[in-house]
Amino acid sequence: MISRRTLMGAVALAPALGPTRAFAKLFSVTPRPVESFTLANGLEVVVLPSRRAPIVSQTVIYKAGSADEVVGKTGVAHFLEHMMFKGTGAVGAGEFSRTVSSHGGRDNAYTTFDVTGYYQTVSPDRLDLVMRMEADRMADLRITDKELQPERQVVLEERRMRTESSPAALLEEVVQEKLYGRDQPYGVPVIGYVDDINRLGVGDLETFYRQHYAPNNAVLIVAGDATPDEVRALAEKSYAPVPRREVGLRQRPSHGAEDLPQRVARADVRVAEPAWGRTWLAPSYRSGETRHAYALQVLARLLGGNETSRLSRALVEESKVALSAWASYSADSLGLSAFEIGIHPARSASLAEVEEAAGRQLGRLLDDGVKADEVERAQNQLLAAAIYGRDSLATGPRVFASALGTGSTVADVQAWPQRIAAVTAAEVVAAARHVWRPDGLVTAELTGTGGGK
Amino acid sequence: MRRSFLAYVAALIALVPVLVGVLPGTAGAVEIKTVTTPLGLKAWLVQDKTAPAVSLAFSFSGGTASDPAGKLGVTSLMAALLTDGAAGFDAQTFRLRVEEAGASIGFGASLDRLNGALRVLSANRDDGFELLRLALTEPRFDRDMLDQRRAQMLSGLNRAKQSPGAVAARTFVEAEFAGHPYANDPDGTPEDLKGLATEDVRQRAKALLTRNGLIIAAVGDIDEAELARLLDRTFGGLPQEAPDGTPPALPPDWRPPAKARTIVVERPVPQSTALLGLPSLTRDDPDWYALLVLNHVLGGGGQQSRLFNEVREKRGLAYGASSSLRTYRKAGLLVISTASANERVAEALKVVRDVLSRLRDEGPTEEEFAEAKTYLTGSLALALDSSGAIAGLLHSMQVDQLPPNQLERRAALIDAVTIGDVQRLARRLLDQDRMITVVVGQPVGLSP
Repeated sequence: MISRRTLMGAVALAPALGPTRAFAKLFSVTPRPVESFTLANGLEVVVLPSRRAPIVSQTVIYKAGSADEVVGKTGVAHFLEHMMFKGTGAVGAGEFSRTVSSHGGRDNAYTTFDVTGYYQTVSPDRLDLVMRMEADRMADLRITDKELQPERQVVLEERRMRTESSPAALLEEVVQEKLYGRDQPYGVPVIGYVDDINRLGVGDLETFYRQHYAPNNAVLIVAGDATPDEVRALAEKSYAPVPRREVGLRQRPSHGAEDLPQRVARADVRVAEPAWGRTWLAPSYRSGETRHAYALQVLARLLGGNETSRLSRALVEESKVALSAWASYSADSLGLSAFEIGIHPARSASLAEVEEAAGRQLGRLLDDGVKADEVERAQNQLLAAAIYGRDSLATGPRVFASALGTGSTVADVQAWPQRIAAVTAAEVVAAARHVWRPDGLVTAELTGTGGGK
Repeated sequence: MRRSFLAYVAALIALVPVLVGVLPGTAGAVEIKTVTTPLGLKAWLVQDKTAPAVSLAFSFSGGTASDPAGKLGVTSLMAALLTDGAAGFDAQTFRLRVEEAGASIGFGASLDRLNGALRVLSANRDDGFELLRLALTEPRFDRDMLDQRRAQMLSGLNRAKQSPGAVAARTFVEAEFAGHPYANDPDGTPEDLKGLATEDVRQRAKALLTRNGLIIAAVGDIDEAELARLLDRTFGGLPQEAPDGTPPALPPDWRPPAKARTIVVERPVPQSTALLGLPSLTRDDPDWYALLVLNHVLGGGGQQSRLFNEVREKRGLAYGASSSLRTYRKAGLLVISTASANERVAEALKVVRDVLSRLRDEGPTEEEFAEAKTYLTGSLALALDSSGAIAGLLHSMQVDQLPPNQLERRAALIDAVTIGDVQRLARRLLDQDRMITVVVGQPVGLSP
């Protein structure tokens, strides 16, 4: 499974902003109960108790993703994620998932640029079982050529489905490559290049496993119907015996590609509806001008979070050159992140027209600034999403996994509502000015082969 | 240390078969209250204080399958427009009010029903319900919003042609339901959409938004009395029945395709997407729980099914290979989906057919049968992971005309299924002489 770095749980709530009723008061978010501790072998444990339903989820993430691969071995992080289901000294190939299922549970896994994660949801009396099985494959994975060969075909089918059958996904690969640079950590697709996937062998996967899969490079997150004391006792039994291991330092370049700006276009016979997008290099919580990270989340929301955001109002409602328009940004990245906008043009409008219309909106924001109540609305949307996020068993682990896997702490996650609420209108504009630089972007055009519109 | 650890795990795994079957049911996990309001509206409620919020799931009788002739798409268009302005608020103002309440309100139409959902923070509960009342009782259907939504729907229909998965899904539904209203795209046709006027949308809203057939489920930080008060205020202004006094016409009975068919849709993609369908059961069929077991063994659940095992794990022929059940008021389908490189899709389909034949002839093994029952009993709790999900479950239980104590009964109903029931059902349903196969791509070695 692959997930691109996504907007942090904000997608949960549809609607964000505009001036009618004078000043909406910021929603207050009381911090959720969280307990965390670290085992002697370095495994960090986070417990998010909730007694709503008799279910509990375990997530184990490794601080390793596709951006930790080396040139020529792209796709190894994701391929290894698949092979983690193919057996250990104690558990046969495919037995992990079969066991979870036969106990009424579900499991899966995902790989991103910075993080690889494994998760199961089970009834509380099966937490012991899945913790021991997860600890087992942390310590004792067995990769065989017999299992690797058919799984290679599965990975190639996954790539055909996600990427090669989708013109937009193919264009997105080129955007990443142009923005971050060829063969750079974020310039390579998470799933890898076909030639590399075809060449990867048992030794390559074992090497990546040995270098990155260790308790001192992992985080365990347990959410749901379990107390911190129960989790601690189970973790001491299952994970504590896994030996600590030397892991490599993770490195990300502090700059993007050398030759920006770039414009990439894909004319594809399969495209029925054209699209336009622009992606800028942007700081994250860990890289670049990190002080802008919170303001950029507010900026993305008020610019393109939903139908009351600036882009939608100007391009969809007023000038009607677009059918939809959005902006997105995530600060959870070890290296530089990206700020993106995307526009789906109306039938009557050309890509050049929507590009110009979007440019006018960005210019207007930089020239005239943003209103305090507009900022407050965007903040309220983000805070409301956080309150609703508490209501779902899946959201908490996702938020902590993404943050802790990219160098943030539990305290950072807990302080997020206050830090979002503290963003000012001036900071939003300063963040926009910092990111929207003409020499830090890639423009993308997706059209059919009928000459576009 | 390492060795003892491994011995520990090995012993644990050896225990697995013993544990199978002892998973407790989820009775008592959620306590469902039934509420009847002073105006006579009925709702199911689960009180839950996990988050300071309330989730409401509701629906009206009648969906896109009863779109009037020549006006296909009108129900979906109307559903989208319900939140595009009401009473004195134009679309933008209405959305801003919803945001100020930290709420979300949305509508969408399925083939059989018009569905709605409200989510609101407890502190703004009255505002959220009031905005929902306005959307239901005083929608504006402004011309500029109608034009905008229509353009988006037309574009969506066009964009669906880009995706092999969407093309396969549409082709499949049209083949299974040829001649029946279920074959229609819920978003209509470009021709009909272009002809729709405000009055059509208004008429459709009047026909569907009635208290007859209304189903309501609520979950969250609210008690029965408060819910009753807010429901009466919100839904009480709707008429009991449509102006002409008749409920939306039920779709006619469905006659499943009599013969097997394979349909190939050529698309320039490296991978062929395949859907295979068999007529199945409706939700009220006495064999429903045997069907759940059969589907789980065939291709349901996670990564343990026969399809997953044979198509993906053993042969690497696809990333996904699964089966699912689709139920409608008047039809039921068992649908298998997979996608494989153009050169290998014929082999993948052969494996799928072999799996179907063997399961039909031999039925599940005792072990598969037992594991499926454990999974089905335990997995109900997995669906209770958010208040929106619980509201959705309470809502669908009412649509399916199940009793409020169904969650407690469910484990016993699953437990009562015998392996003989599943074998009998496999022989009856897994009949490839009635199977529709749709393949989108450039499949090699498949004759259309």
